[in-house]
Amino acid sequence: MRAALHIEALTVGHGGAPVLRDVSLTVEPGHVMALLGANGAGKTSLLRAVMGLVRGDGRIHLGDREIGGLSPERRARAGLGYVPEGRRVFAGLTVRENIEVAAAGGAASRGRRIEEMFALFPALAEKSAERAWRLSGGQQQMLAIARALAMRPPVLLLDEPSLGLAPIIAREVFGRLRAIADDGVAVLLAEQNAARALMIADEALVLARGGVAHRGPAAGLTPEAVADLLVAG
Amino acid sequence: MMATVDTPHLLLSALALGAAYALVAVGFVLTLNAAGAVNFAHGDSVMLGGVAAVLLGVAAQAAGWRVPGVVLLPLVILLGAALGLAIGAAGFLPLKDRPPSAVFVATIAIASIFEQSATAFFGPAPRSAPPVWREGTAQPLAMIAVAALVLGAVYVVLERTQLGRRFRALAQDREMARALGIPATPLIAAAFAAGGGLAGLAGALLGHQFFVVANQGPGYMLKAYIAVVIGGWGSVPGALAGALLIALFETFVAASLSAVWAQALLFIAVLLVLLLRPQGLFGEPAGRRA
Repeated sequence: MRAALHIEALTVGHGGAPVLRDVSLTVEPGHVMALLGANGAGKTSLLRAVMGLVRGDGRIHLGDREIGGLSPERRARAGLGYVPEGRRVFAGLTVRENIEVAAAGGAASRGRRIEEMFALFPALAEKSAERAWRLSGGQQQMLAIARALAMRPPVLLLDEPSLGLAPIIAREVFGRLRAIADDGVAVLLAEQNAARALMIADEALVLARGGVAHRGPAAGLTPEAVADLLVAG
Repeated sequence: MMATVDTPHLLLSALALGAAYALVAVGFVLTLNAAGAVNFAHGDSVMLGGVAAVLLGVAAQAAGWRVPGVVLLPLVILLGAALGLAIGAAGFLPLKDRPPSAVFVATIAIASIFEQSATAFFGPAPRSAPPVWREGTAQPLAMIAVAALVLGAVYVVLERTQLGRRFRALAQDREMARALGIPATPLIAAAFAAGGGLAGLAGALLGHQFFVVANQGPGYMLKAYIAVVIGGWGSVPGALAGALLIALFETFVAASLSAVWAQALLFIAVLLVLLLRPQGLFGEPAGRRA
């Protein structure tokens, strides 16, 4: 099977000092890879470099296509969906507009995609005409995911989706993420809550001290083992 | 004295002035939101719109065409849009990754070039643009009608089209918009063109009653800036409301006291707004900008 996302020897730096060195990973279609690490380990930098929002040196393949030299908007149109830390929904746009703004095609095609997203997240359908700033944290997180999926991306990048959510809402969000992966989307999930991420992940990659401390199947990897890896570096 | 003021006539004049100021302020805020930087050449785009209206009027008369000013307005808007694109291409796009002060300085330089060029080629004397429809009461009514029509069209584009939704998303969070595949550079260029078109139209509308003078650009720029400060930085409805308030204030204070007092009191009022309500009278959180 051709990997949906393949990253090879990616190095990311801030002001000349590397934050991440030589990170390589592969995410298959329909799989969830948990990207684990302590605060400041470089999870966000890795996702932002893949998205083209910060400079990264290395090769990034989306399917057969090398996207390392593309602008963020062209990477998005090539098939990368991005859910940033803090959600960053367009607060002044309605729920419907937040999804529609990212959808491609004519009005009818965009309308169909919105309905598909409302079927996936029924809580959003009820708030369709509300401005996004009025939503709860959990609803904003669902909206950020729906917005990222509006262009039907084969790869979805998520940065700390459980941050600031009540446990019951976080569980619901992670359940949807598993369902999205089961539909064939490759999910790269950066998350500090290792226990929650490992519950839905197929593979895990642990970042520590600017590099990869562990890469392997999620099954059998416990949060305690992840903590040991972080301490050992 | 207030007792001698013809209130209905003054109100009509104030609304006509406010309609033109609203075009200036909305054009200014569209560019501000898209580019994230102030275009200090915006006031001179208004002045050049007036110059274009005067010259087109003279050319039409020389050709023997007896047409009302409204016929010339689409051409003035197109010229203004082309000028706005040129300002964006020279004063913003090459500097978009530099600190905002670089764009400030570049657009101030462009404004100065426009003003000096207009003085050199158009002359320093005030000249009058053709009336929109005809002289008298018809002029302020026509100004209000044209501005309302154009601002209504801007509203429909911003609120009801995918282009408008994308523009509003870009204004709220440019990086996130790009990460969703929204093409930032063409939208910013379109905002400069729209801002220039609205400024040019405002110049043509103002140019009959208030004349066209080569050095009037900074005054219009200041009015746009004040309208946006009063209305809430980055808010399109706020800019519109701020422009109307400025025009009402200027017109009624000038009629009651004097034009000099109107300007002085306007700036005192702006200082009070900044001190007491820095988010503007109708201010909204930045995330809710239109």
